[in-house]
Amino acid sequence: MPGLPQPSDKAARLIAGGASLVASSVLADAGIEHYRGSFENRAMVLPLAGSALSILTDTRLALGARASGGTGALAMSVHAANVAIGAAGLGFHVYNILKQPGGFTFGNVFYHAPIAAPAALMVAGTLGATALALGKGASRLGPVPLASGRSLAGFAAFALAGTSAEAAVFHFRGAYHNPFMWVPVVVPPIAALALGKAAVTGTVGRITNPALTATAVLGFAGAAFHAYGVSRNMGGWRNWRQNLIVGPPIPAPPSFTGIAIAGLGALLLMRRFARG
Amino acid sequence: MSAEAQAPRALNGQAPDVFTPGGWVPMREYGEEEVDFLIVGTGAGGGTLACKLAEAGFSVVAMDAGAYWRPLEDFASDEHEQGKLYWNDDRIVDGDNPLKLGANNSGKAVGGSTVHYMMVSLRFRPEWFKSRSKLGYGVDWPLDWREMWTYYREVEEALSISGPVTYPWGPKRPRYPYRAHPLNGPARYLVEGAEKLGIQWTETPIATLSAPRGKAHPCVYRGFCMAGCSTNAKQSALNTWLPRALSAGAEIRDLAMAGRIESREGRVTGVHYRREGEWRFQKAKNVVVAGYAVETPRLLLNSASPECPDGLANSSGLVGKNLMVHLNQSVFGRTQDDARFYKAPPSLAVSEHWNYEDAGKDYHGGWCYMPPGPLAASWARLVAGKGLWGQDLLDEMHRYNNAVGLKMVGEVLPYERNQVTLTDQADEYGLPVPRITFSYGENEQAMIRHALGFMDQALDVVGITDRWQNPDETAHLLGTARMGSDPATSVVDADCRSWDIPNLWICDGSVFPTSGGVNPSLTIQAIACRTGDRIAELARRGEL
Repeated sequence: MPGLPQPSDKAARLIAGGASLVASSVLADAGIEHYRGSFENRAMVLPLAGSALSILTDTRLALGARASGGTGALAMSVHAANVAIGAAGLGFHVYNILKQPGGFTFGNVFYHAPIAAPAALMVAGTLGATALALGKGASRLGPVPLASGRSLAGFAAFALAGTSAEAAVFHFRGAYHNPFMWVPVVVPPIAALALGKAAVTGTVGRITNPALTATAVLGFAGAAFHAYGVSRNMGGWRNWRQNLIVGPPIPAPPSFTGIAIAGLGALLLMRRFARG
Repeated sequence: MSAEAQAPRALNGQAPDVFTPGGWVPMREYGEEEVDFLIVGTGAGGGTLACKLAEAGFSVVAMDAGAYWRPLEDFASDEHEQGKLYWNDDRIVDGDNPLKLGANNSGKAVGGSTVHYMMVSLRFRPEWFKSRSKLGYGVDWPLDWREMWTYYREVEEALSISGPVTYPWGPKRPRYPYRAHPLNGPARYLVEGAEKLGIQWTETPIATLSAPRGKAHPCVYRGFCMAGCSTNAKQSALNTWLPRALSAGAEIRDLAMAGRIESREGRVTGVHYRREGEWRFQKAKNVVVAGYAVETPRLLLNSASPECPDGLANSSGLVGKNLMVHLNQSVFGRTQDDARFYKAPPSLAVSEHWNYEDAGKDYHGGWCYMPPGPLAASWARLVAGKGLWGQDLLDEMHRYNNAVGLKMVGEVLPYERNQVTLTDQADEYGLPVPRITFSYGENEQAMIRHALGFMDQALDVVGITDRWQNPDETAHLLGTARMGSDPATSVVDADCRSWDIPNLWICDGSVFPTSGGVNPSLTIQAIACRTGDRIAELARRGEL
């Protein structure tokens, strides 16, 4: 039925929106951090290019555009490339930490390439590819079944847990000096557990939706808190060129929002699947 | 500028707000009325104790000979200008190894030398509190390390010390309140060298913030720490204990030079001090002397009276005796890449290996080592001291970015011959100029030999070339009014209360019976916290 909405379109658009947010978070965060690293390795531009292209394709899909034929194939290759860039980035970041004096120490994990950050690009790629496949009406992404929503729920749960773990590490680095710093290490894991349980059992518990919604909200609230954190550095926002770099990363928390939105998309798929 | 030419700021019911340019905070004033405690000195000892006593409900006046600065607006990135933070009054030095006094061992400002200290906040090795009975040298402290462990914790929390997640030496300690800072260039060389030599290292526990705290910003790694921190990241008495003291009702008198403690019938009654060009008298039920190891004995000796002809609290004859410093010798060399050792707090990594390892030493005591980071003018003076001049000196300064080094903080044993005495010469206040006599013993020479050799090796194994030794530097001043458990061999008891005069207390580095191989500020503050608690306890029991 060309031209008519596919049954899973709303979920696909939601997931694409989430993917787009995660990619935006990666673009801005890696942009600042890799600029700080003076693009010392030329490969440091790759996540910027990959996430930028991903934003384009995801946003098109989120706004309701159809991806088919050539553009669809191109978009799918962008997502595949992002998963590959993210995986390579993980390797580079681990290597960067291990080559420092002392090797794998808290200090090196705190202050050198953030160990898990490139995984966000893999998340963006996977979510983008999922949204694209669903948008085309496909019931599988490669060998992974999509229609039941359970695989996506499981993936989003894993991504939330990972992102929360990263927040835990860096908020530990900041000594949890502000009690609100505990929120992203408490709320997203609840959402991740609920979503993970839904993925395993196929039924959605009562707290799943509110926990995901709360996680989505705290992603944006986190950006606001980080902006406040920037202001608490010497010179505050007047010294933004320095403090944007040394302060807490403003673009990082919205990746929670992106993943939570994708998780809400997974819930939509699951409900629809349950209704048959 | 001479103190006489400056105008006090803490007046008319307000004191400078150190967190706001041009700002003020309210301050209670006691006028000439008798207060519970008059504290002379507002540094690591006096500033901390002022806070503890004020918070315990005592009326407190704390005075300092130095000025009341607002770091955000008064501190320049200029070594020369920042000389205003050092105690550069006339002193006569002699002995076989006359001490260089000033930048590296004194402070003249509200907040004392913590205003420009290097912030290294190491705990004593527990055995050092019983070094005579456990290690066979020096004397025992009247303090128990387990009790000190809880007071160290109190100070670490009050200053939000940034330190490693786990500490490799000594008994278990709680996690530092804030996380360690990233290693700067020279610290990375220390780490690599320690790993190659197979000894342990750690990020230095340091009193500069790695995350915001209240109105204080996290450290920006500007690197002017030893010239005073202009961002308030440095957690000094000036911006931690004293704001607390003020809000608890203490009065702080800046630019107030204590000259003489008045005593009568075995008790002290107050202090004559000079402020705004005139001598005044402040009555007090208790006087605490916290002027550091030169000014404290100087004031006690200058307060001699017919009743106490040898100076106050001096029946043991030990006031001014047993002066100790820390060995601060260093090895420098050249890297291939830029190390920029003047950026960030210099001493971001430390090895306390030789504090905790006793085997293989031909001397008593311990030492640790850290990378130093001399600012440009200090570095120029240092390399010029090697005999470089003209083009050679210019060339060396062009290689400033490539210089790195390691510097020891080594324990000096107490010797009675190392001492502070008074001379006939008068200073700008008309007070007798102190004479500071200091000589190393054989033990110090042996430790220096070992440390310089070891640090040279630690630089050699990481490819540092053109190495040279700076064999002649000291830091800190300790031990001229030691604490002990016997009035015959010490000046104060474990509570820092003088044996001779029950309402005279001494609370600073002078009470150290031994020096330990670590920077003393944390221990001075821990002792002050303990003293504050003990005084409150004694007051409750009616034993003040």
